[in-house]
Amino acid sequence: MSDVQKPLERQAKWQKSRAALSWPEKIRMAEAMRESVRQLRASVSPEEREAARRRRAPPASE
Amino acid sequence: MREAGVIQNYALFGAAAQMRYSEPVATLDADVRVAVPSTGALDVLRGIYEFCAARGWPAEGEAIPVGAWPTQFVPAFSPLTREAMEQAETADFEGVPFRVVRADHLAVIALSVGRAKDFTRILALLESGSVSREAIARLAERHGLAEAWRRFETRFLDE
Repeated sequence: MSDVQKPLERQAKWQKSRAALSWPEKIRMAEAMRESVRQLRASVSPEEREAARRRRAPPASE
Repeated sequence: MREAGVIQNYALFGAAAQMRYSEPVATLDADVRVAVPSTGALDVLRGIYEFCAARGWPAEGEAIPVGAWPTQFVPAFSPLTREAMEQAETADFEGVPFRVVRADHLAVIALSVGRAKDFTRILALLESGSVSREAIARLAERHGLAEAWRRFETRFLDE
C-alpha cells in the first residue's frame, strides 16, 4: 500500500463511520452543511458569480 | 394533518430519508409524499397549503418551511411511490414518530428517476448495508424496472 493510499483509506473509514450516527444527528449535520453553503454563496459578489458561470460555460459556437 | 383529515397518509422521501440509512448528505429541502382525500379538485395540495398557512407556515414558492426545512409536499401518484409510502417505517426523531420510506423503496425510486445523484444514492444505500442487491432486484422486477436495474449493475457494480 502506498503512502498516499493509507491516509485516504483512513479518511474514507472515518467518513463512513458517520453513517452510524443517529438519524437526528445526521439531519443536524445536513442543516449545518446547508448553512455553510448559504454563507459561502452570500460571500461571493454577483461579479464573481458571473465570472465563475462564464468559466463553466462552454465557448459559444460561431 | 392526518388527524385533521387533510392527508390520509404520508412518508418522508429523498435525501432526508436517505440519511436514516447512510452518511449525511447535502440537501436543500425535504420531500414528503402524501395521499390526500379525493375531492375532485385540480389542486390536490390546496388543503395542505391552507392547513399550514392557518398555523403560521405560509408557502414560500414551491415549499412550506417546516422548522429549518423547506418542505415540498408531493402526491404519491405512481404505484411505486404509493407502495413506498404505504409500507414506510415509523422512525423515531427525538421522541417524535415519523414515517420514513424504506431503503429498498428509496433505491428503486432512485433507479426509476435515473439522474447521476440518484445513482449515487443507490450506491450509498448499498454501501451502508441497509439494502441488498437482491432486494433491489426483486422490487425493481415487480415495478417493471428489471432492465434498468440490470443496466445499473453492469455499469456500477459488476467488475
